[in-house]
Amino acid sequence: MYGRLVRNDMAKSKLTTATTMAFIAAAAMLVFLALFMVVHLLGAIDNLMTQSKTPHFMQMHSGTLDEERLKAFAQKNSQVEEFQVLEFLNMEGADILLGDNSLISNVQDNGLCIQSDKFDFLLDLEGRVIRPKPGELYVPLCYFKDGTAKVGDRAVIHGREFRVAGFLRDSQMNSTLSSSKRFLVSQEDFEALRDLGNTEYLIEFRLMDLSMLGAFETAYIGAGLEANGPTITYPLFKMVNAISDGIMMGVILLISALVVAIAFMCIRFTLLAKIEEDYREIGVLKAIGIRVSDIKKIYQAKYAAIGAAGCVLGLFLALVLKDRLLENIRLFMGESHQSFTATLLGITGIILVFLTVMAYVNRVLKRFKSISVQEALRYGTSGEPAKGAQHFTLSRSRLLNVNVFLGIKDVLARKKLYGTMLVVLVLAAFIMIVPINLRHTLESERFIGYMGIGQCDILINIQQTTDISEKAESIVSHLAKDKDISKFALHTTKAFKVKKGDGSEESIKVQLGDHQMFPIAYSEGRAPVSEDEIALSVINAQELGYKVGDVLTLVIQGRERAFKVSGIYSDITNGGKTAKAVFSDKDTGVMWCTLSVALADKALVKTKLSTLTKAFPFAKILDIEDYAEQILGPTINAIGLARSVAIAIALTLSVLVTLLFMRMLVAKDSHAIAILKSLGFTNNDLRWQYGTRSVFVLVIGFVLGTLLANTLGQGMAGGLFASMGAASFRFETHGLSAYVIAPLAMALSVFAATVLGTWKAGSIKLSENIKE
Amino acid sequence: MNNLIVGEDIVKIYGEGDEQRRVLDQVSLTIEEGEFMAVMGPSGSGKTTLMFALSGMDGLDGGRVAYRGRNLAELDERELSDLRRNEMGFVFQQPTLLKNLNILDNIILPALRNGKESAAQLTRKARALMKRMGIESLEKRDITQASGGQLQRAGICRALMGKPSIIFGDEPTGALNSKSAEEIMDIFAQIVDEGTAVMLVTHDAKVAARTQHILFMRDGKIVSELRFLKKNSPSLDQRLRLITERMREVGI
Repeated sequence: MYGRLVRNDMAKSKLTTATTMAFIAAAAMLVFLALFMVVHLLGAIDNLMTQSKTPHFMQMHSGTLDEERLKAFAQKNSQVEEFQVLEFLNMEGADILLGDNSLISNVQDNGLCIQSDKFDFLLDLEGRVIRPKPGELYVPLCYFKDGTAKVGDRAVIHGREFRVAGFLRDSQMNSTLSSSKRFLVSQEDFEALRDLGNTEYLIEFRLMDLSMLGAFETAYIGAGLEANGPTITYPLFKMVNAISDGIMMGVILLISALVVAIAFMCIRFTLLAKIEEDYREIGVLKAIGIRVSDIKKIYQAKYAAIGAAGCVLGLFLALVLKDRLLENIRLFMGESHQSFTATLLGITGIILVFLTVMAYVNRVLKRFKSISVQEALRYGTSGEPAKGAQHFTLSRSRLLNVNVFLGIKDVLARKKLYGTMLVVLVLAAFIMIVPINLRHTLESERFIGYMGIGQCDILINIQQTTDISEKAESIVSHLAKDKDISKFALHTTKAFKVKKGDGSEESIKVQLGDHQMFPIAYSEGRAPVSEDEIALSVINAQELGYKVGDVLTLVIQGRERAFKVSGIYSDITNGGKTAKAVFSDKDTGVMWCTLSVALADKALVKTKLSTLTKAFPFAKILDIEDYAEQILGPTINAIGLARSVAIAIALTLSVLVTLLFMRMLVAKDSHAIAILKSLGFTNNDLRWQYGTRSVFVLVIGFVLGTLLANTLGQGMAGGLFASMGAASFRFETHGLSAYVIAPLAMALSVFAATVLGTWKAGSIKLSENIKE
Repeated sequence: MNNLIVGEDIVKIYGEGDEQRRVLDQVSLTIEEGEFMAVMGPSGSGKTTLMFALSGMDGLDGGRVAYRGRNLAELDERELSDLRRNEMGFVFQQPTLLKNLNILDNIILPALRNGKESAAQLTRKARALMKRMGIESLEKRDITQASGGQLQRAGICRALMGKPSIIFGDEPTGALNSKSAEEIMDIFAQIVDEGTAVMLVTHDAKVAARTQHILFMRDGKIVSELRFLKKNSPSLDQRLRLITERMREVGI
């Protein structure tokens, strides 16, 4: 009997059934894919790191190196299983040509290396250790992914010709988040190019027992060994490898949670509507002594059928899509050999979705208990008066049109019912506005401030070359004579040691120069003005534990010197760890120089760029917009894509839910519609009433969604940027997009869906709906 | 008296194919201005369908209905709505009041839609009508907080707000006890005295006896009619006897 009842019921409400099923299917699919990918990702990372024998501890170092001393340390330390020092020959992007593409504007630190003998192997796409022959070049996978190079391309590095023989997986630097990229060449080619680049050292250790990593790290630091560069450990490599795909999976899981929530709302709404529709019948069934649990079974059977069908459909879709989503993981990390576990976990996830749906249906059905037989039979509806809306009466409303009044009154009287629609619209507004604002913020001029750079037109970088100071001076004297240039400032970055509370020292990069010419936004305090002041980036201030007004001690040429922390600023470049000061220092070696240039006429940027590039080939000269775009470009693009997808999802969701909602409202309200029509209300009047209901809910939804986007959404984005070094992140709101175009688009969609959904209201037969 | 509504050869068919049923089979009748009329017949005889056809709430499958000479089939949905709002009032067996509105709001709703008078004016008018119907204390009540008889009176107030030319009542006393039913019939009699026509659909001979013109329906046809030319004669008992006799004669 249940089967027949369920079939009849579904046939009567095809649209609702299909929509609910679609949402459940989408949720099931997403949950499956996310779990499936998590297992694969973790498996693939483990495989890759096992195959390439990733170092457990790595210290990057530039400058002189005492290999004997390191060797002695490794031999003496009982935890060390293996030890090696690899060379990384840093090459200027301009000196690397892959096919027709130069890496001149590439922001990665590209360098050459040779295959290691002991561990930290660079692997080919089959997971084998690559042994390059002379003339062969193996290129990091990211350049395959972005289309810069392909196998067989001719490559030129510092005038030496190579052939791109293949691509390599690098368990350390695979991720675009890692700022260095290793190209693999033969020993012979490496030796030939050795003098043309800057050598950095990778001091690497494999330990007997990874759990002793902490103790080893302390021992290494305690021994005062080479440490001019970052330290990276095995867990960090693992995290960097996992992070980009991991974020994607996190997002998928989040979206699936959202979709499950929407499916719940659909279920809740359809169920509530259905219960109201069936109120009299339920009353009759109760009156003749049918048990509540038996009545509930009819509804449960229906949703069990919809849920099961949705889950199976979701599983099918997931199985079709899974390989495409795994492409990236497979390319960068290889196979995981975890298909069985992954599928099993994915299916478990789908079963969980099903159980959650059923649990939710049961919860909604609890209200059966409270159905009063007397009210059900007498009024065919629940007798609860409209709470809170009693004082909103027609007789006292002076301004509102009758139809608008009836629309608003209905929403106020049936808050629970419209609450569902409201939540969906709030979500839709939220997922639409956050990416719009986020993208606008990233694109805005002010965002440059988060990168520790003042607002200028051209940025000149001189690094990884010899005689940096002299070269910078030559540019300075050129700029000083140029009338097109309104102002410029030279900043020299040097590494000093900062003395920590416990007496230990840590390296800190300090940018010296005038910091008032191109001011940046300080989250606290202000720019350094006098010689004894220093400003710290947010992450440096946090890690070193300094606040504005504290005194910090730098070791300059062996002498300690005290500085007062004048301010703290946001910086997401250089790993977020920088400092700014104005003192003069002639003796310490220069790491790099930066010149910020402002033009009198902004239109001249392009011409000025080419003149300067020609005149100073050793410098990296960038339009500030290009610079921002290079650093933020992929993020902006990703968010741009997310924005388009979010807008599409939000609008589809609004249309679908409104359509569904209105169709059901009309079915449910058929008696009231018949009354109104018998009283002489026209179809147009009815459309106005339903339109008012939608618009009223939409307005509240949009306002709440916007508030949520600017608080919770901003907080979420702020948290993300804070982890990268930007303090006090605030959305730059794009007023037109966020508050005019977006609500208008939503209003149009909702309105269209309302008109479409209530079209049938006009054709309701009075005689059928009003007859006793 | 002038003709208010004239129905000629009205045909209404329900169902399709083999299951087709002629619910109204070439029915012709005239309702005059200010007339008090009742349509009697057993369940399924077509009396309610006839009321829907005459008021333009349902289309026809044959014949025509004219309201003051205007053919209803030639009016569009808007004109029909206007006609119902301005010229007609309806009272049904179950009170058809809107759940979201209190009783006063329900009463003024259609008149307010007309936009001719302000909410304040209409409220005053509604209060006077409610007082007349004895429900003045209920104006702020929710419809679930009133009895069936009270709601029926509210329904009549609503029907009277627009000063209609005719009130259609579909078993308006069907759900009421005999005392309430009598009171409602008194109200209808007063309405007729004031010049408004009333057409009641009923199977209760006592209700029909209060009217002056009774149509008897069976199987979609008018099979007989009775007219009482004077208001108070014959007496109510005599009328009742005449009606029941006629019902027996025509087999309803």
